[in-house]
Amino acid sequence: MEIERETNEGNSRRIQVRFITKLKSPYKVPTTAIAIPSDLSRLGLSSIVNKLLQAVDSELKTEPFDFLIDGELVRMSLEQFLLVKGISAEKILEIEYIRAVAPRKEEEPSPHDDWVSAVDGSSPRFILTGCYDSLGRIWKQAGWCTHILEGHSGAISSVRIINSEGAGSATVATASKDRTLRLWKFDAEDSTDHPARIRAFKILRGHNASVHSIAAKTSGDMICSGSWDCTINLWRTNDTDTNGEAVSIKKRKVNNKIEESQSEGEAVSTLVGHTQCVSSVVWPQHDTIYSASWDHSVRKWDVETGKDLSDIFCGKALNCIDIGGEGLALIAAGGSDPVLRIWDPRKPGTSAPVFQFSSHISWISACKWHNTSPLHLLSSSYDGKVMLWDLRTAWPVSIIDTHKDKVLCADWWKGDCVVSGGVDAQLRISSDISIQ
Amino acid sequence: MSHQESQKLDNVNPLETRVEDVIERGDNDFLDDNHDQDEHSESSQSHQAVDESDSSEDEVAPRNTIGDVPLEWYKDEKHIGYDIAGRKITKKERQDKLDSFLASADDSKNWRKIYDEYNDEEVELTKEEIKHIRRLLKGKAPHAEFDPYAPYVDWFKWDDAKHPLSNAPEPKRRFIPSKWESKKVVEYVRAIRKGLIKFDQPKEEPRFYRLWGDDSSSADRTKHLAYIPPPKPKLPGHEESYNPSLEYIPTQEEINSYQLMYEEDRPKFIPKKFTSFRSIPAYENAIKDSFERCLDLYLCPRVRKKRINIDPESLKPKLPSRKDLRPYPSTCYLEYRGHEGAVLSISVEPSGQWIASGSKDGTVRIWEVETGRCLRVWEIGEAVQLVAWNPLPELPVLAASVGADVLILNTGFGNEEEQKRVKELLHIGTPTSDDSDDMSSFLSWIQDEKYDCIRLRHYRVLGSVPSSLGTVSSIEWHRKGDYLSTLSKRLTQRFPFKLHGLPVSSVFHPTRSIFFVATKKNVRVYDLLKQKLIKKLETQLREVSSIAVHPAGDNLIVGSKEGKLCWFDMDLSSKPYKTLKCHPKDITKVAFHRSYPLFASCSDDCTACIFHGMVYADLNQNPLIVPLEILRGHTSYDGRGVMDCKFHPRQPWLFTAGADSSIKLYCH
Repeated sequence: MEIERETNEGNSRRIQVRFITKLKSPYKVPTTAIAIPSDLSRLGLSSIVNKLLQAVDSELKTEPFDFLIDGELVRMSLEQFLLVKGISAEKILEIEYIRAVAPRKEEEPSPHDDWVSAVDGSSPRFILTGCYDSLGRIWKQAGWCTHILEGHSGAISSVRIINSEGAGSATVATASKDRTLRLWKFDAEDSTDHPARIRAFKILRGHNASVHSIAAKTSGDMICSGSWDCTINLWRTNDTDTNGEAVSIKKRKVNNKIEESQSEGEAVSTLVGHTQCVSSVVWPQHDTIYSASWDHSVRKWDVETGKDLSDIFCGKALNCIDIGGEGLALIAAGGSDPVLRIWDPRKPGTSAPVFQFSSHISWISACKWHNTSPLHLLSSSYDGKVMLWDLRTAWPVSIIDTHKDKVLCADWWKGDCVVSGGVDAQLRISSDISIQ
Repeated sequence: MSHQESQKLDNVNPLETRVEDVIERGDNDFLDDNHDQDEHSESSQSHQAVDESDSSEDEVAPRNTIGDVPLEWYKDEKHIGYDIAGRKITKKERQDKLDSFLASADDSKNWRKIYDEYNDEEVELTKEEIKHIRRLLKGKAPHAEFDPYAPYVDWFKWDDAKHPLSNAPEPKRRFIPSKWESKKVVEYVRAIRKGLIKFDQPKEEPRFYRLWGDDSSSADRTKHLAYIPPPKPKLPGHEESYNPSLEYIPTQEEINSYQLMYEEDRPKFIPKKFTSFRSIPAYENAIKDSFERCLDLYLCPRVRKKRINIDPESLKPKLPSRKDLRPYPSTCYLEYRGHEGAVLSISVEPSGQWIASGSKDGTVRIWEVETGRCLRVWEIGEAVQLVAWNPLPELPVLAASVGADVLILNTGFGNEEEQKRVKELLHIGTPTSDDSDDMSSFLSWIQDEKYDCIRLRHYRVLGSVPSSLGTVSSIEWHRKGDYLSTLSKRLTQRFPFKLHGLPVSSVFHPTRSIFFVATKKNVRVYDLLKQKLIKKLETQLREVSSIAVHPAGDNLIVGSKEGKLCWFDMDLSSKPYKTLKCHPKDITKVAFHRSYPLFASCSDDCTACIFHGMVYADLNQNPLIVPLEILRGHTSYDGRGVMDCKFHPRQPWLFTAGADSSIKLYCH
């Protein structure tokens, strides 16, 4: 091969390797063993595989690949890697290659009027963002805003899509620094050029301080919210006022037009235990809530009893938490230092993190596990970067640094996009990330 | 009797034996004679003896002819000694043995003759003399008339003595062995066995000694007098050879460079090469050296210098490691940008969600701690010296000092009820009634419509014309949030206590009704209830700039304009417990953390110092102060550095406000 001949001059050792893959047909190379120089790193290996592929099909575009040896991503030269891992270079090495996890395309930014504080991309049909101008926005795609959620009197701190499966309508919730949560309903399908302004159908009052985070139950009938008053409140989202929760039904007159009625809701129950601001909540399973707080703890709550089941103390004020990984068991959290920590609560006897990713240089503002892949997660930081992580290596697999200032929020969208918002008042979408 | 005599006389001196020999010899044949004449000669003998002794004394003058020399010296001479005229005295013709035997056989009195060697003559002993000798040999007095056993004459008169001198019976102890002595002996024996009593060991001389050993190290020298060994001369090396290798010989350049050096630094010896040993010149400095040696001996006697070898590390106080004292702020992650002038003061909201800042650009801003978002701006128009958040969470009002005024601003936080209360509080139609008359002359409460707040204006009564006065130097809220202390440059009259000097800073005690006021030199502690001075703390600093009280209230830190920080333990004394010189420039602010054992100082040298200040509940244990970290990051602007520092109320974080118009947050 050409590459081999080129690098032959380097007078380095050669290793017998065999490339294997789980990729589909156009990306399959013959499984014969070939000898390659041992000082190649990921880039060299990737170009070899590309050359091999193009030898078969010359039309194929060059594709970055990532390489796995014994379930670990290669992030140094092959020789160093083998030395560090103590793998013998004598026998034929099996290298599995996957498509590199990196955004291949950067969509045009979606401008906001103020800092983008929250984003949710859990629905493939739209993106929900919250903004410091106290408006929530629904984005159909990059640069196309379909709805504006109007009503909060303070900056929105967190947004969550509750239910988007319905044929037309979707339910979302927003939390704001005006101490309220609002529930909104809109038709996700209607698409006008001019964004429609809609009002909340329900206002949830009960927190004594800024609400900082929301999480929705998977079934969509309840949400929980963490607040600066150190509590987590649970709320019902169903608009049918069967329990008589609605305190008042107001008719509002705006522009001489009667809008739809707004109801107010009260908290179903309150989880008390944190001693400082509850900065992040997640509701991954039916009856457990995980919360992260500035009191340096991650707590697991039983929804039925309202008791906290377990605590993890990390020593830093935490800003974000997410549950993911294999069997929704790993807790990823980041906070007031540049380290993204991942705990495994199944591991007995220790509260030390199982993974620590420390490539950021400032506070971590958000972390999210990938929806389908148990190995991938993203983190965003005040240093203006969004990093994609693979549990199989300690280095970020990809760094998105399109933001000019702090990134305040980030999420996955449609499984292959990363949406992030920050102080530069832009929603950025980095798309075409291939994750198997 | 003679037999006994001979036995007795066994050991008498030679002269006596000689006499005795004669007597012995004569004894045998004279026995009868002696016995015969024993009775009849008794009376006449004494008479004769007296006569003879008289005559003999007259006749025979004691004479010594030979002087004090042994007689043997004259053994072979013909003469023996000298007479008074110096002539030699010739010896008499010695009778040969046969003649003398015959003579002795003929002469019955021959046994009584003795040969006097000194005088070289024969002396015939008289009968009395023989008797004297015999008595002497027997051990009796030589004179027969001396009675050794004369009857005893008792001269003491016993007639009147009715009682004996002591009638005590002899005590028993005189007859039995002493118990105590034996005990003492046993004691000694035991002590010796145990080795407590040591006898002087015979000194063992070392069998071998180092012939060439070092004198100075010998033990007996150092034992007694202070022996100062002379400094050892350096052993000569290759360079001092007369013919050193080439690499030792300096080049000309090097020699020239020596000339540029100081004389002390110059090498003492410059290696030189000589072709032969013969060509080495005489030592040129010989006279100079010996002269200097003499000077040394004369002027610089060697003195023993007490040098203590102490590891300087061991002198450092034992402080715990910084790692063990975590968490403490160390890294700056967040910056709050937006001010256009130096940020003069910051204050953190009690929950820690917001901070307020006052700046020289005439604005008061409220920031979100978490993101650095500026939430609210008040354009006051005049440099805002100080801001202070009310410590009550349910009363979210902010005091800001502008010139001589203090504005109480409504921040707009809190829920509706709280807002309602705040609005009621901040609305004053008429001067509030609880202000007494004299107070209102110093202070006036004015409703400020523009910012929806109260303006406190400080006045000084000067004649009858109220005039505005100097800037407010300190604002401090009471812990319950009901009272506010403002220190103006001329507010001393308002104060119920007399202050010596201008007040610089003031602070409320965190739990009790005690108030601390710092003037330039001292800190005064007042009891607000009793309205009297409790204590006066002497800072010993040139100019105090700020004070802060430990949350427990018993400790106080004082920062000064000379960069020193004093820690006062109120229970200990009125002098500083510790003084730390931590900044090269003015300390602008000091702060205690509310819950973590941390305190900080910030200075015009653009740094802030973090200290660990642990106060123990045990009163016997002094506070532990450990410097932890110097926080850098601010830049100097107009000669000022960091203007203010405040701890986050719940996290181990520090906010610093800089003259470079930025606020920084340092996290752990």
